[in-house]
Amino acid sequence: MTTYSSGTPVAAVRLSSARRTAVDRAGDPILRGLTWLASAVAIVLFVALVYKVCDLAGESFSHYGLSFIGRETWNPNPSTKTYGFGAADFLFGTAVTSFFALLIAAPTSVAIALFLTELAPRRARRPVATLVELLAAIPSVVLGLWGLIVLAPIMSSTIEPALHAVLGWIPLFSGTPSSVGILTGVVILTIMTVPIVSAVMHELFGTVPGELKEAALALGATRWEMVRMVMLPYARSGMVGAVILGLGRALGEAIAVALVVGNADAIHTSLFEPGSTLASHIAAEYQGATTSLQISSLAYLAVILLALSVIANLIARLIARRAPLRLGAGVGGPE
Amino acid sequence: MPHRRTVLLAGLIPLTVGACGSSSSSPATDSKQLVGAGSTLVAPLLSQWQPEYNKQAGVTVAYSAIGSGGGIAQITARTIDFGASDAPLSEDQSKEANGVVQIPWALAATTVAYNVPGVPTELKLTGPLLAEIFLGKVTTWNDPRIAAANPGVTLPALKIIPVHRSDSSGDTYAFTNYLSHVSPEWKASVGTSTEVAFPGGIGGKGNSGVGGAIASTPGAIGYIAISYVLANKLDFALIANAAGNYPVPDVVSIEAAAKTLKSVPSNNEVSIVDPPASAPNAYPISTFTYALVPLKSPKADTLKAFLKWAITAGQKFGPKLDFAPLPAEILSADETTIARIEN
Repeated sequence: MTTYSSGTPVAAVRLSSARRTAVDRAGDPILRGLTWLASAVAIVLFVALVYKVCDLAGESFSHYGLSFIGRETWNPNPSTKTYGFGAADFLFGTAVTSFFALLIAAPTSVAIALFLTELAPRRARRPVATLVELLAAIPSVVLGLWGLIVLAPIMSSTIEPALHAVLGWIPLFSGTPSSVGILTGVVILTIMTVPIVSAVMHELFGTVPGELKEAALALGATRWEMVRMVMLPYARSGMVGAVILGLGRALGEAIAVALVVGNADAIHTSLFEPGSTLASHIAAEYQGATTSLQISSLAYLAVILLALSVIANLIARLIARRAPLRLGAGVGGPE
Repeated sequence: MPHRRTVLLAGLIPLTVGACGSSSSSPATDSKQLVGAGSTLVAPLLSQWQPEYNKQAGVTVAYSAIGSGGGIAQITARTIDFGASDAPLSEDQSKEANGVVQIPWALAATTVAYNVPGVPTELKLTGPLLAEIFLGKVTTWNDPRIAAANPGVTLPALKIIPVHRSDSSGDTYAFTNYLSHVSPEWKASVGTSTEVAFPGGIGGKGNSGVGGAIASTPGAIGYIAISYVLANKLDFALIANAAGNYPVPDVVSIEAAAKTLKSVPSNNEVSIVDPPASAPNAYPISTFTYALVPLKSPKADTLKAFLKWAITAGQKFGPKLDFAPLPAEILSADETTIARIEN
């Protein structure tokens, strides 16, 4: 982050120029040079990466064109008739897991943020906020392992049968409960996005001017009415930005999802069934890819994922520009 | 503003780096060192070989278990001294690799494990039945065809959930090769490869991914390396061989399958799945895994010595990892091939 700072060091103003050594005099150009270089490296790296991934995807692109996005086949065995690749299964898996993860994560995060800004006892705020943010510090592979070893059996023995018993008439919850599958992936993604989204929302609610809140209370509003009529409208656009930031994380998560999502190249209506996301599929298959068309098709998936992440980030930035706070302060993107 | 930019970049770079992260260090020129990469199946055996061979010959063997596909790609680019693959090179790969030969250097087997509450281990299954299960045609455990093979066993009305490897794997090669031999439909629709399009079920990454999915999913059935099944005490099925027997998968029954091998073709591509009925105790799902070596290597002598050691003295480290020793026909074919490597 320091690499972007520039300008005159404040402390230097008071030094008289006569007493500066040669090293001190060289400081300014060196600082400028280093910061320029660091920024340039970051930009060049990004451009080179995008170029390389697109270049690698070239073979698949010239083979399938844009129809790749809608193709449902993913058959890596060149000796069969249906040999070929397509992104539809993984786009579907990515959309479903991210959508449901955010569907759960967004209200949970609003609740956490409101609790921390308005309801929690003053002394409890700091530790609770820190603990929630620490959730984001769990390495995704650890979370994935926990998901596979601890969460998955609970999903198949308790949570999914319960959902099936109550909501089984909805196609989403039909079928046989299974340990790994889309729903287990959703739960893991929810756990990964909540700390990010709630941290941003927490900051967001902190920016609501105290006068507004006090005015609402003075007019006789209850706490709930104050939240509903003052805080939420004030922070609305920022909240959308926070959720989209969470979406960026959910889209790109590979390892944790690959461990629990079931890795099946298929589209099912039931959330209990296994599926695959763009990121988890790349993680699962890249290592063993044999034909150049397969490698190229995996790169094509990467290009799609890259485009989705860029779009999500751009939208979040666009919204953030109008929001009363800088989104993403102290919050990382996808792992 | 700086914050936003960082978020954007931080979000993108790891994704893409991860996607194309294959290292490509050039082979060391020091002849006291060999660099190899590829198959994960053979990796436990190599990790036994490395310290032992270093002690005996003073040669360091570096090996990265990056998967068979990666091994093929890197030996084709000659960035390593030897590759390792669980599947023999296809015609295209062989052409592209230009002068790389394959040497079968280890013999392993794949077992079928399952998780059916109330059903004891060593459930009996036939090859065609296994193919039907993985094709999604036999869908419940109390299917009359499973019951017919297992008189006296009470089978629950539980949905069958097939589990396969989601990453490229020698176990997948052995398993699909076997199913292609016993089921024409499997051969036509799915075929044989280290990675295929399974008609359904759950995919797990690595042996532990498949093992974890089987252990935590009632009704699951999947193929998995024999050593993993034994170490984790999973229930495993007995698969009927051509003689109609149900041999227990172990080094003895794998060796019995390897002994049915009559001749080795010039490219050393050998398959011993579904061995003939003349071997009554042969295990039906065994596979060879291959070293991939260029015929012209700057480190020919070091490489030849190591390969020679691996297929002879090195084999004695196999059985405790459930690799069976190489049969005599393979040994002599390997020696002929190794002799062709030169500077």
